[in-house]
Amino acid sequence: MVPNQRFKQVFVLSTAMLSFISFWKAASVVLCDFGSSAYYAGGIAMKAFGPAFPWFILGVMLFSGLMLGVYTESCILFVRGGVYVVVREAMGKVMAKFSVSALVFDYALTGPISSVTAGLYLGGLLENIMPLLHINWHVPGRAFAVVFALIVTAYFWRENIRGVEESADNNLKIIGFVAVVAVLLLGWSGYTLYHRGFTLPPLAPVFTEEALGWTVHFPWLKAVGIIGIIMAFGHSILALSGLETLAQVYREIEDPKVRNLKKAVVSIFIFSVLFTGLLTFISALIIPSDLIAGKYAENLLSGLALELQGPYWGRLGMQVLVVLSGVLMLVGAVNTSFVGANGVLNRVAEDGILHDWFRHLHKKYGTTHRIVNIIAVIQVVIILVSGGDIFLLGEAYAFGVLASMSFNTASLIILRFRRRDEEREWMFPINLRYNNVYIPVGLMAVLAVLLSATGMNLFTKKVATIGGLAFTAVFYAIFHISEAMNEKKARLYAPDEDNEKLNLRREADIQTVVPELTKDRCVLVPVRNPNNLVHLAAVLETADDETTDIVVLSAKIAKGIQSGGETMSEEDREVFSAVVLLAEKYGKTVKPIFVFSNDPFFSMAQVAQAAGADEIVMGVSGSTGAEIQMERLAMAWGMLKKPDAPAKPVLARVVWEGRQMTYQLS
Amino acid sequence: MIKQSDGISLSAIISPENVVFISGSPSKEEAVLQLTEAMLPRVSGLIGRKALFDRVAEVEKLNQVLESGFYIPHAKFPELDGFHAVLGIIPEGFTDQTTGLKVRALILLLSPHKPAFFQRHLNMLSLLSQTFQPELIDKLAALKDPAAAAALITGK
Repeated sequence: MVPNQRFKQVFVLSTAMLSFISFWKAASVVLCDFGSSAYYAGGIAMKAFGPAFPWFILGVMLFSGLMLGVYTESCILFVRGGVYVVVREAMGKVMAKFSVSALVFDYALTGPISSVTAGLYLGGLLENIMPLLHINWHVPGRAFAVVFALIVTAYFWRENIRGVEESADNNLKIIGFVAVVAVLLLGWSGYTLYHRGFTLPPLAPVFTEEALGWTVHFPWLKAVGIIGIIMAFGHSILALSGLETLAQVYREIEDPKVRNLKKAVVSIFIFSVLFTGLLTFISALIIPSDLIAGKYAENLLSGLALELQGPYWGRLGMQVLVVLSGVLMLVGAVNTSFVGANGVLNRVAEDGILHDWFRHLHKKYGTTHRIVNIIAVIQVVIILVSGGDIFLLGEAYAFGVLASMSFNTASLIILRFRRRDEEREWMFPINLRYNNVYIPVGLMAVLAVLLSATGMNLFTKKVATIGGLAFTAVFYAIFHISEAMNEKKARLYAPDEDNEKLNLRREADIQTVVPELTKDRCVLVPVRNPNNLVHLAAVLETADDETTDIVVLSAKIAKGIQSGGETMSEEDREVFSAVVLLAEKYGKTVKPIFVFSNDPFFSMAQVAQAAGADEIVMGVSGSTGAEIQMERLAMAWGMLKKPDAPAKPVLARVVWEGRQMTYQLS
Repeated sequence: MIKQSDGISLSAIISPENVVFISGSPSKEEAVLQLTEAMLPRVSGLIGRKALFDRVAEVEKLNQVLESGFYIPHAKFPELDGFHAVLGIIPEGFTDQTTGLKVRALILLLSPHKPAFFQRHLNMLSLLSQTFQPELIDKLAALKDPAAAAALITGK
């Protein structure tokens, strides 16, 4: 038999072996961030504008349905989206840099607000349990929360440096547990309300002087009527953090992508309204106002558990469940803040507006450790400065949430006009068709609400305005300077647009990769030209991800004897970047393999036979044509076929626009 | 899709009459020319001399020597109804300039240019490349008799 001496280095691209996830898992990833605000939003809003808070938290959660719709349209438009990509496409890089700077500010706050809240809930529980264990120790709530928050931050800093990804399975388990706790809490609350009766909370917000911010200097700006509603809405909008996570997770949603995205969005909405909106509302019906403002201000849902109708041990048990679910969810949100900020900054770096220094990969773990370190340091500083004061954190929060949501919505409106010919699988509702443009009336209404709240928050949330603007200015400056430095470098070297850091694994032989192919069927898709992937798209469109391994092979011609020192060029990386993008678009897993060989057909046949491929799908070659491609493959196939090989039928297909040629390899 | 056709066998195309031993160390083009000359009488009446030589020369530019050191110049003609082949054995061999591989056996294969025949054409190419492995080529190069060569290949 022909030996393998001409088959050289084998590289396996591991970043592209994305394991696509179900809509349940996608929803749970988002909810671990989005839903965690249930544990602190009510208390913070109560402190700001009094007993009317449940109406506004419920209103914000209903408004989240509209925002989820906005993000659904932007996700469908951009598989690898997020606010940076959407805003850059619609408004250019300057605005994109501004929006992403604001977003990073909120990611920097998500970690501290979540970890401190978890610490406060845990501290509150220990305060109740200690006497039962005859331990005479008063838990210093805020100090305990700070220590706990620092431990959690350190833990996730280490995990993110090591590149240990929290699996979506864990998120699903957490959300499952939280859902069970929520159902118990809702049921028991219903029983309590039935026994005790209830009075609906007042509708009119009553602002503290602190919550009015700079507006106290403008007497003509009365905090009543529509102005008051907008102010209260602005103070409650922090319950909406986590939408950017949806944009980040969309690339991982499995096929059929759009349908699954819609299912995920509906699940998120229902859960959020019931969990954050309804539970906060019920808390206000059951817990006396003075206790909400005092004893339970920092752990509202613990307060709900403890104020239910029933024996103390039962209520304490319910508090244990609430705290456990809260800690799990809030701690998950800390991780999301690391992953989210790291992801957003990497996306920005790919676009050349963050200096390569930031993207330096950890020698051992291959992670962008400098970005992770920066996020960790910022979060630690914020935790220490807050001193465990959740209201201070809440006061600072939501600047970036509102800014990124406003930019995202405005961008979608602009894109409706700029990319008017692009087919959209789904559009945010209420559109007026004029010529070939869908005028987005619905989006415009949402933007009006967002801009009102953004404008009002600038005046009322002083900490958020000062902190957010300062932080945004610093990050904007970093982006601006980085971009200038990268542009200078680009003039000296070749430009490197849309380049992503590929995580490559070098293997000595293709046989070592074969055990990773575990599905019933295997389709081999050779690729060469990033602009000619019609055949890969055809495979991705029809293949069943559950049962089919899709191996994408790129063979580079390398003449001469094996040296072992071959490396991938930028052109080769470009091919794989295009493959990864396409796989993400269809939500199907691919296994990209890159080999050095002196005959591409030889490597195709070798990989196909080693992998036990059922099908080889090629794109048409402009230089030779489909028939010659088939002939060469047939010869390479026969040459490598072992006499004792099983007579398994293997299809060879050449696919090009609107046509295909299919034969069987013998 | 065209299903795989049965009935592809080497004994149908290789017989002592169409095995040629080529002495010396010709270039690839010279070796192909010699096989084309040997092919001409087998397809006379179906394909003219010029058409045959022109077509073979044209497709020869697209053909490649296999990793095993075996070479299959092949062409398709609408006038044909079945395979025609001439096997060349070059004990001294020649070195292919493109790949650097040593070639000591090559077969000129003509096939019908008909869509329905293309699957059989592919099967024949696959069978030939599967059969002519370096071990067989070594043995063929050591022979001097076309009948012995044909018998070694077909097992008869």
